[in-house]
Amino acid sequence: MPVTPVPLSFIVDSLCERLRTLMTTPLLLILVAAVAFLATHVVYEWLAKRLLIVSGAEYLVLGVLLGPQVTGLFTPAAIEAFQPIIILGIGWMGVAVAMPLRLQRLVRIPAVPYRTALVESLLTFGVVTAGATSAIAYAYQVPWREVLAAGGILGAIAVASTPAGLDVAFGERGKDSARGAPVLLQIEVANHLNAVVSVVAFGIILAVMHDTVPLMVRSLTTTEWVVVTLGIGVVGGTVFHLFLGGEQSADRLVISLGGAIILASGAAAYLELSPTLALFAMGVVLVNSLRHPGAVQEVLRSGERPLYYALLLLAGASWRPDANIAWWLVIMHYVVLRTLTKLWGTGIVTWVNGAQRAVGLDWGRALIGQGRLTIALAFDYSRRGLPYGDVIFTCAAVSVLFTEFFAARFVRAAAAPLLAPLEQISATTGAVLDTVTETMTHALPGFLQPTDSESQERPADVPPETNPAPPGDR
Amino acid sequence: MRRLVILLILFAVMRGVFVLGGPTSGIPTLMLFGFLILAAYSVGELVKPFGIPKIVGYLIAGILFGPPGLAYVSKPALTELTPVSNLAIALIAFLAGAELQLSEIRERGAAILKMVSSELVLTFVAIAGTMVLLRSQLPILANAPAAEVVAFSLLFASVAVVHSPAVTMALLTETRANGPVARYTLGVVLVMDVAVVLLFSLVLAVARSLAPPAGGAEGVQAGAVLWEIGGSVLVGAVLGACIALYLRFISRELFIFGLLMALLGSEVARILHVETLLTLLVAGFVAENGGGGRGEDLRHAMERAAAPVFVVFFALAGAKIDPKAVVPLLPIVVPVVLVRMAGIWGGMQLGGKWAGLPTNVTGNAWMGLVSQAGVAIGLATVVADVYPSRGAPLRALLMATIAVNETIGPILFRLGLKRAGELTPANVDAGPSVAAAPTAGAH
Repeated sequence: MPVTPVPLSFIVDSLCERLRTLMTTPLLLILVAAVAFLATHVVYEWLAKRLLIVSGAEYLVLGVLLGPQVTGLFTPAAIEAFQPIIILGIGWMGVAVAMPLRLQRLVRIPAVPYRTALVESLLTFGVVTAGATSAIAYAYQVPWREVLAAGGILGAIAVASTPAGLDVAFGERGKDSARGAPVLLQIEVANHLNAVVSVVAFGIILAVMHDTVPLMVRSLTTTEWVVVTLGIGVVGGTVFHLFLGGEQSADRLVISLGGAIILASGAAAYLELSPTLALFAMGVVLVNSLRHPGAVQEVLRSGERPLYYALLLLAGASWRPDANIAWWLVIMHYVVLRTLTKLWGTGIVTWVNGAQRAVGLDWGRALIGQGRLTIALAFDYSRRGLPYGDVIFTCAAVSVLFTEFFAARFVRAAAAPLLAPLEQISATTGAVLDTVTETMTHALPGFLQPTDSESQERPADVPPETNPAPPGDR
Repeated sequence: MRRLVILLILFAVMRGVFVLGGPTSGIPTLMLFGFLILAAYSVGELVKPFGIPKIVGYLIAGILFGPPGLAYVSKPALTELTPVSNLAIALIAFLAGAELQLSEIRERGAAILKMVSSELVLTFVAIAGTMVLLRSQLPILANAPAAEVVAFSLLFASVAVVHSPAVTMALLTETRANGPVARYTLGVVLVMDVAVVLLFSLVLAVARSLAPPAGGAEGVQAGAVLWEIGGSVLVGAVLGACIALYLRFISRELFIFGLLMALLGSEVARILHVETLLTLLVAGFVAENGGGGRGEDLRHAMERAAAPVFVVFFALAGAKIDPKAVVPLLPIVVPVVLVRMAGIWGGMQLGGKWAGLPTNVTGNAWMGLVSQAGVAIGLATVVADVYPSRGAPLRALLMATIAVNETIGPILFRLGLKRAGELTPANVDAGPSVAAAPTAGAH
């Protein structure tokens, strides 16, 4: 009896259809969060430690697979239902950007890294804006004035570089002594300033494009919308402080921080402003007004990566490709132009500032990687249905896909040549010190014995035999 | 003073944002969520110095900012925020289940069953009787045939006997009370929750035979009720076992994990048509007792995650109370509320004596059983769904009764705990911390 083979496509379609009927919107949300959660604590740490890979971008691909373009498990309606989570995730990235900007710490860093990083950021913004504007105008055959805002958005997105590469390659600040090296300090400052310039530029351009007419007052100017955006953040920060008061319990902190972030993100999104800029302003207020911002930073850090993964999945699911060749022209143009600007721009800026002896001319490689902020900003733009939203989002997604995985390796490649002599010096110094110590110990017994107070501070696990008492004390 | 300043700032922010928002702007769900967390919590702290539980403050905030008041939270926004309420119910049930330990059930289980049975019978009969007596006051029952009067009176009573696990858990968490009154009240509320599902299903079947619905809706199937109860236990046990395994072998990031599990449990329960509260209750119980001693860590983490969700849950419950609809019904609601309270008191006295409990417990625990909230509202909605025309006035009456019980219940419970000496200054001074809820097994 002949057996007709069942086509694979039929099985896949049936399976997808069955899953679609089972997958309710809330269940999808839970599964998204569960995947993000597991990814954060299992895959990310493992990949970072073993393979020096910054994980994350693959969730963008997973999102595309789950979205309407492939399996359809994430329907457009489901993605729409996730809007509050998306907005919260976008806003969260804004607070995260502000967290390292504590003035007490920033003033201890010399001016040259700031100057270098700021000029590099502005250079990238300018070059990519100009390039993207020309590319879009050429590809879509429209006057450049009409696409200037979209070009500016791409410029703002291009500035951002992921700090995850540095953290994975050289450990988090304060946990690894190598982070004090000039080149790593320069990369760190550049990452922070890139994020600030990116968020501020993006927020301002959105304010320029704002066209909502208020109910009871005249239309606001761009400056006024920017002030409103920053005002939302400042009010959020103030409410947080008033709410927390003198009580520092963990629950109160969660309620006040959660409430303030949700309120500010929601308000900015409702007014069609940038939640990232509003929350960035709030973050700056928080980190500089709290005596001990560690607890707040801890709460924010615990939510950042799961939200980023959820954002990536949803961003991937909401991706809408276009077969138009013009589309891919703009995307290729963006990726190449940004990479070249980061590579050469940093070199030129460093040379102009005379900092090449300390940081070299190649540290721009460390800024090629793009990550969470890039996706947050691009997704924030595309979800609004503004012009060229899909192409702008695809530019960002392609850039993240190609660069985030290897961000740590880019940083290593940029910093290693400069760190090697330092490591050599460190090893030589260690050897010299050992020799001197040994000689002194032989020549003057007891000269290098610890004092009483040092003896008391000796760790409990060090046996006393390692520091024998001088013969006279026995 | 600081609380008032926060409220004024929040008030100004909301006014400003609504003015600046364009006419095409949608519902600011996320903003309202954040606003309710901060505003309701501030109102809760404002009423605290007056000896009023913070839950009542959250309810007041809901009335104030909800559709009957300033209408910041509109009716469509209430619908949009429904997932928050569902999450709160799931968290409450899980935490309630995690409060129970096997040793405690062995010690107090028999006494709790005796109190539940006597209180249920007495309150149910008393309320049904009151409804029959007051039928002339109700337009739907005034000229109805006797069978219909009996049917609707029984239906009303089966919803009116319900307690509120949410209020009980929230108040125990707020006050950190952990004495015998607190433990027996929690036990009675949880067991009653299971009993009520059975009772309501039974009464609904009887009511349908006495007063058939207009559309000839299908009757209650025994299999469905059995699945609702048995399936809940089964699903809850499986979920609890998975959580226990996680606690034993991974036990990391319990804050986010707890939230995810609560969401997962409630959604799975909804998809499988089992009782959410019972499912999560069983899951919490299994996780706590099978988690290899890590259950307490999970409970504390979940209590922290639950804090803002509870605030919004009660604020949303308050926003659903319409004082204008309650006032005209007060002539019927007040006697019903008083009879219900008397029934609870009598039932607890009877059950307490039967179980040989000290008068300190029986004389105060009844105060913790007056509150009503989510479950009762859900059952009232079922009544209105089954009887679209005749059920609507009954639902309005039930909602008015629930609103009154919801408001006075937490105040009475706090009073009962205070009279029993379980509201020590140390507990009260410890303030709003949710992380130090009553620990299971500690007597």
